[in-house]
Amino acid sequence: MAEESFLTDDFLGQLISVGEVDLMVGVPTYNNAKTIGSIVETIQAGILTFFPRERAVIINADGGSRDGTRQLVNAAIGGAQSSSKLYALRTLRSISTEYASSPARGTALRTILAAAELLRAKACAVISPESTLITTDWLAALLRPVYAETFDLVLPTYRRHRFDGILLTNLLYPMTRAVYGLRIREPYALDFAFSGRLGSQFLAQNAWHEEAARAGSEIQFTLAAIAGEFRICQSFLGTKEHVERHSADLVPALRQTVGALFSSLEPNLSVWSGKTGSQAILTTGAEQEFTLQPLRINRKRLRGMFSTGVAELESVFQSILSSSTLAELQRIAGMDETNFCYSAELWVKTVYEFAAAYHKSVINRDHIIQALAPLFRGRAFTFLMENRNGSAANVEENIEALCLEFERMKPYLLKLWNGSE
Amino acid sequence: MPLKQDEPWYKHAIIYQAHVRTFYDSNGDGIGDFRGLDEKLDYLVDLGINAIWLMPFFPSPLRDDGYDIADYYSVHPSYGILEDFKKFLVSAHEREIRVIIEMVLNHTSDQHPWFQESRSSQDNPRRDWYVWSNTDTRYPLAHINFVDTEMSNWAWDTVSKSYYWHRFFSHQPDLNYDNPAVREEMWSVMKFWLELGVDGFRLDAVPYLVEREGTNCENLPETHAVIKELRRKLDEHFPGKMLLAEANQWPAELRPYFADGNEFHMAFHFPLMPRMFMGVKLEDRKPITDILRQTPEIPASCQWCLFLRNHDELTLEMLTNVERDYMNDSYAQDKAMRLNLGIRRRLAPLLEKDRRRIELMNGMLMSLPGTPSIYYGDEIGMGDNINLGDRNGVRTPMQWSGGWNGGFSAAEPEKLYAPLIQDPVYGYPAVNVLSQKRTQHSLLNWMGRLIAVRKTTGAFGSGSIEFLYPGNQRILAYVRQLGEEKILVVNNLSNAAQAVELDLRRYKGNILIEMFGQNIFPRAGEQPYLLTLGPYQFYWFRLRRI
Amino acid sequence: MWKMIVSELTQAMQELAASFAHLLPRIIVVVIMALVGWVVAYLLKVILGSILRLIQFDKLSENAGASQLLTKAALPSATNLLCRFVFWVAWLGFILLGVQALGIVGLQEQIAKFFLFLPRLFVALLIMFFGLLLATFLSRATLLAAVNANFPSPRLLSVSVRTLIIIFVLSMAFEEVGVAEETVLMAFGIAFGALMLGLAIAFGTGGKELAQQFLEKRFGQGKKDEGKEDELSPL
Repeated sequence: MAEESFLTDDFLGQLISVGEVDLMVGVPTYNNAKTIGSIVETIQAGILTFFPRERAVIINADGGSRDGTRQLVNAAIGGAQSSSKLYALRTLRSISTEYASSPARGTALRTILAAAELLRAKACAVISPESTLITTDWLAALLRPVYAETFDLVLPTYRRHRFDGILLTNLLYPMTRAVYGLRIREPYALDFAFSGRLGSQFLAQNAWHEEAARAGSEIQFTLAAIAGEFRICQSFLGTKEHVERHSADLVPALRQTVGALFSSLEPNLSVWSGKTGSQAILTTGAEQEFTLQPLRINRKRLRGMFSTGVAELESVFQSILSSSTLAELQRIAGMDETNFCYSAELWVKTVYEFAAAYHKSVINRDHIIQALAPLFRGRAFTFLMENRNGSAANVEENIEALCLEFERMKPYLLKLWNGSE
Repeated sequence: MPLKQDEPWYKHAIIYQAHVRTFYDSNGDGIGDFRGLDEKLDYLVDLGINAIWLMPFFPSPLRDDGYDIADYYSVHPSYGILEDFKKFLVSAHEREIRVIIEMVLNHTSDQHPWFQESRSSQDNPRRDWYVWSNTDTRYPLAHINFVDTEMSNWAWDTVSKSYYWHRFFSHQPDLNYDNPAVREEMWSVMKFWLELGVDGFRLDAVPYLVEREGTNCENLPETHAVIKELRRKLDEHFPGKMLLAEANQWPAELRPYFADGNEFHMAFHFPLMPRMFMGVKLEDRKPITDILRQTPEIPASCQWCLFLRNHDELTLEMLTNVERDYMNDSYAQDKAMRLNLGIRRRLAPLLEKDRRRIELMNGMLMSLPGTPSIYYGDEIGMGDNINLGDRNGVRTPMQWSGGWNGGFSAAEPEKLYAPLIQDPVYGYPAVNVLSQKRTQHSLLNWMGRLIAVRKTTGAFGSGSIEFLYPGNQRILAYVRQLGEEKILVVNNLSNAAQAVELDLRRYKGNILIEMFGQNIFPRAGEQPYLLTLGPYQFYWFRLRRI
Repeated sequence: MWKMIVSELTQAMQELAASFAHLLPRIIVVVIMALVGWVVAYLLKVILGSILRLIQFDKLSENAGASQLLTKAALPSATNLLCRFVFWVAWLGFILLGVQALGIVGLQEQIAKFFLFLPRLFVALLIMFFGLLLATFLSRATLLAAVNANFPSPRLLSVSVRTLIIIFVLSMAFEEVGVAEETVLMAFGIAFGALMLGLAIAFGTGGKELAQQFLEKRFGQGKKDEGKEDELSPL
């Protein structure tokens, strides 16, 4: 089948030689030579420490790295195994494949899922190649709930800086929670674990042809688990490394996460339209921890880009937002810094109207996502100002308040969804 | 038989380990004896055995199954008289079966006259024949072997009011090898039996001969010196005879027992044995290949002795804690099965009477580098009885038939030295020589065929070994080579059918000939050689270039 | 003399009647063709209308920005417009076919030319339509990209892109229809060239820093603009 030929003969041969496994750890990479060696060694140590008797394999799905990432992966396994520090009862396999000559997260995940299904892995974890602060405990925290208990999906919670992941805390988490009724802190998780059952189901779904699915496969995965009523839990891992990001990365991030989230609403309408409120899910360890070190932030720039966006994109917003929302945005755009406040209610309205517009494709969907960027910056600015002097508990309270606002206004989303144009 | 005549006989031996007491009772007293053993020699010939290792048959209070010797120059009356032994020896040699007997050098029974004299007073000439002390604090670094029964390596003697040293049971005091008289006497003992015609000795508990303060009293240079001296005398007066070491040590510590070919001829490869069991349970060749990679080269005239089971517990001493726990959880869930850091079960029960697994393990035994030793009864798949205490569960009477007392003895069943195995699965009506001889594809007949095939080549006994490491870690594959002769062995350690691709480029152009059926398989070439194996299946291929 | 006039008149009338009688069948043909044409054209209009409504042509044209144009010009919706256009073209076509039957020589050539012209007109309209679509899409994309990249005057960029594309499309349409080909081409060439040159000069001299930034971001790795960036990570 043309669809299935993404597994190369060589990779398939390696899978045959590995045989059935109990555990699998997948690491998607693309030019991660700087970080990958120590991460793989830690993964290996974690497996040998917490699952010494289990048959395990580490799968590296590489998107055509040119900096020697694959060689480093193989070297890391070989080196650590021959050192006498770690005793291995059985052979710990590690195989690596280049799934494409250009990276695509969705295809990497698909490769790992295919391997998990072919090897009948009972539990599979995926670790991001940028998780440099990984410890061996992560393996136990992720795999045990699936392998020893009967959970199907384990999502991480982290200790992070309170201003890290504003998109997560101000949009993805609250909206996923309000819409799908589950309090998942990291719906877009790069370190997670799943059961063979869930993996096979997701693999069978015909979602691989859409561009959105390919890009936002992690969030698709979480949503598939929710929609399929699989057992989900969270596990506290540790500190999430802070990755330097360029401001130009916001739009791709929005595409992969918000775009995927919006896309998921239509096919899963029956799942979320009836839900009200939200439920907590079982969490091992802390639900979230915030660190309060000072972080350098260019507030002026955020504020500036918001105002510019509101002014310049008026014609675009006219197609997306309601006139009252747009008027309100224009009003606050004109305020000075001290008075500026992108309130929770306004933000929720904005997001829901965007979601509805996306659903109706009032203009090209990718343009809708791009148009959200400057508005998000405004919201980020407000969030930063609100929480700049607060304690970790305060931050959590504010996020909780925002979540409740999302939940409260869910009927508004439904009204927009079903209402006339 | 294409054996090299200049190769030592022990390199091509197939050893059968038996206790005269358990084998066959000729006089109806419920205890096996030498006349009985003599009568059953043809059974061994049929099986293909060419060397028999007898466990201690010397006069003894039998508190350690004969390893506590009270007289080195005689035969225990239950087993017959010295004449019976001589007759047996002649019969064995007539059938080209060599005889290896036990020689317990390290200790004697406390009933031995030497000890009786030694303890009697401090001035007795034999006082120094044993290791005495006023305190029990000497040699603190030495570990205790029989942890389940002994609390210390020192025992208090009420007669001489001092402590004596014992590395095993407290009724087995250690001889003092620092005393030249002891060394002389032990050589005399060995000479006595050599002159009668025995072909070799299994020297029991050799690492413990000599003690020194500040050491763990094992494998000391002085111990090696004692053995070397014995060997020198042996070579001088009785060439062609063999010394086999029982030393439960890591490969690196076993190596010195071969020295430069002037100490032991053979030694048991203790670390390999549990790892074969582990490999089959894990379905991973790693434990086996790791230990064999760590096994050092030995002199050309020396040989490893391989075994699956013996009269002792399946020792887990030469394993890490992780490995030991795994073995206990896998093979001895019932704690009653565990004894002294080992598992006291027979081969068939350990492998859950799985015929395929039993065949696989025997196949590996016969094809890995070394001389194989088969424990009596394992060739028919005898069971065990852990309720008999100590290690007696694996030393029950040999099951010859389904009839009276399993064909072992004409005596009343209650008089037998130990009860027969009687359960419906392993009992003598189900598992016995007669039934298996009448069944063409019984385990017994299969073992006979296996041994016969092994004997068709010298590569197994004397050849080198080169491991292949195919990607599929459930496959253990290696090539044995002796001169131009090459044998490829492929073992599937897993319970499921497997496919494996072997890199046989080195053997390009060779046709594979399967050794049991003599059928030809495709030739080895540049491309990976694909083989498929059923659960626990193994192949022996002769590589032939025509 | 009266007799001569009467006989001339009678002759003329007879000739007229004859030619009229000669022509009459043809005129009837024309009328029939017109009627048939009307019916066919009407059917076409209805069918086309259904098809267009099915593919939501209105929506498409809204995306293209054509709808807004039409509304501004107080014209009916795109679907309607297209249907009516097709109706008239079809009917006219049939009438002309009928007229051809009259056999008026000069007219035949012109009619043939008309029919030849029609496909080209249609193609030109298509070009314009899709060009408009493209222009709207690209201009919006430019706008969004510029806003998100914090470029100065994003709207200017957006409008420029849109204008450029429209000019380009119009030129193509005119060329296709064959109206003032050479003139239009030249005018387009000059305008486009001038614009490009102007932009290049402006970018090169005035937008030096911007150019530098742009190039660094594209081809230089890891060098971040210290004063302008922050450490926030959205995810």
